[in-house]
Amino acid sequence: MADKELNTAKSGYMLMNKPDYPRTPSWPYFIWIVFLTMLFMTIVLWCIAYLGDAPLEEEAAWAKTPNPAKAPWYFIGLQELLVYFDPWIAGVLLPGQIVVGLALIPYVDISPTAQGRYGWTDRKFAVTIFSFGIFLWFFLIIIGQWFRGPSWEFYWPIIDYDIGGATWTREGIPLKASEATLANVPNWIGWPALIGFFGFGMIAPLVFAKVAGASKLGKAAAEYIGKLGPIRYVLVQIHVVLMASVVAKMLLRLGLGYKYVVTTPWFNV
Amino acid sequence: MADNEHGHPNGAKKGLLWSLYQLISNNFIFQSVFRTGYPDTMLKRMAVMRSSFMMHILPTKVGIHGLKLYYTWCMGGITFFLFLALTLTGVILMFYYVPEEHRAYQDMKDLYFMVPYGRILRNMHRWAAHGMVFTVIVHMIRVFYTGSYKAPRQLNWVVGVLLLKITLLLSFTGYLLPWDQLGFWAVTVGTNMASATPLIGYEGPFSDLLGIQVNNDIRFALLGGTRVGANALIRAYVWHCVALPLLASGMMIFHFWRIRKDGFSGPL
Repeated sequence: MADKELNTAKSGYMLMNKPDYPRTPSWPYFIWIVFLTMLFMTIVLWCIAYLGDAPLEEEAAWAKTPNPAKAPWYFIGLQELLVYFDPWIAGVLLPGQIVVGLALIPYVDISPTAQGRYGWTDRKFAVTIFSFGIFLWFFLIIIGQWFRGPSWEFYWPIIDYDIGGATWTREGIPLKASEATLANVPNWIGWPALIGFFGFGMIAPLVFAKVAGASKLGKAAAEYIGKLGPIRYVLVQIHVVLMASVVAKMLLRLGLGYKYVVTTPWFNV
Repeated sequence: MADNEHGHPNGAKKGLLWSLYQLISNNFIFQSVFRTGYPDTMLKRMAVMRSSFMMHILPTKVGIHGLKLYYTWCMGGITFFLFLALTLTGVILMFYYVPEEHRAYQDMKDLYFMVPYGRILRNMHRWAAHGMVFTVIVHMIRVFYTGSYKAPRQLNWVVGVLLLKITLLLSFTGYLLPWDQLGFWAVTVGTNMASATPLIGYEGPFSDLLGIQVNNDIRFALLGGTRVGANALIRAYVWHCVALPLLASGMMIFHFWRIRKDGFSGPL
């Protein structure tokens, strides 16, 4: 067999060109789908372009800072993260982690089951984690796009605030009202908490599999961890813990009013 | 008129349309372009796909399960279609737009009020751009839920992730070009984040170890200055109209070629 000789596994398709499912020539059915889709999208695009004008505001002016200045919607999740993290985490570390994490998916999920169909039963963990990530991403976009107003404070989407620039104030309310009430976690609690969070986060599934080993869920966890192997386990768990840390930091700020867990002269977390 | 070797579908009744087809197709010129003849047999149907330049980016055969609408939602195809629409409208927009600090915004106004169909041209470009970002995300979500990134398609998933990133950058660089308050401040916010990059951004942690300042950091490289100005505009323009589309096209060629080789992801 070609695939054994070349060690190409399923990519032997390329050499054998004989997949194990029924196929039909692309002409005419597939071509019709492509053609009709293009036709449909042309009409949709025309209608949208005819009905809605692309936004165009006043000419760019360095001296007139709008408040708030919002990023395009697909980056507004990152801008929303700026509330909870310093820019080097929100704008550099976390986006980098998202891209690396997405690229890693096919290399950490080596189970061949549930391919080529929508599957849940065979891949509950993968689907749960991915879905939560997508949910979090769009949740942040929606909050940033519709629920943030001047000084990036919470606003209802229908409130008509004026985009007054740097002079925007409302009587008796400082420009960064929510910022003023925040406190930092003292470092002697913050450092152990941070290290504990990431340390325990990395071993939490192992602990769970040991403690709850008798239960059905514990057995499933132990089996899953066994299949992953140590390297893939670490890679997966780093991303799971980082994602959990985003949620944790959001709760810490919104619920308890803490800005930084750890403060140093060089960086704050 | 005798039928040529282009044949006849299933020996069906020969009507007016068939005569018309004969009239058009029964000559050397037509046959020099469409070389396989009427695709009424299995062999000819596959030959149509293989010998046509326009068709050859598609596989000659597809899995029947892959044709169902709820399997792909046509999202990858729609993304590519929007890319083509953006290329077409973008090239036409380039005729009317000069990326110069004092002219760019005036050119936007001209598109609205002076250029024939200029308004709908820009609207199409703008909405298609937002649409492409959205469809490429939905495409990625679909590919995940159908497990289509699994072997042998791992590398193509990675290329897809990079294409997603390029799509975002394409949209973001285009955001500045109208030179209005919206784009100007969005790009200011976005590039300010770059200045927070550890080591190579002047506001980032440990940047002083490398002697990084406001005028030699990563943000300065992106903007060609310490603030969004004329240099940033021309940089955004070149990235948007030349560099990123070329990069995206190259990766798309690979992306589609790989799909053609591997076929639609199949049930296992």
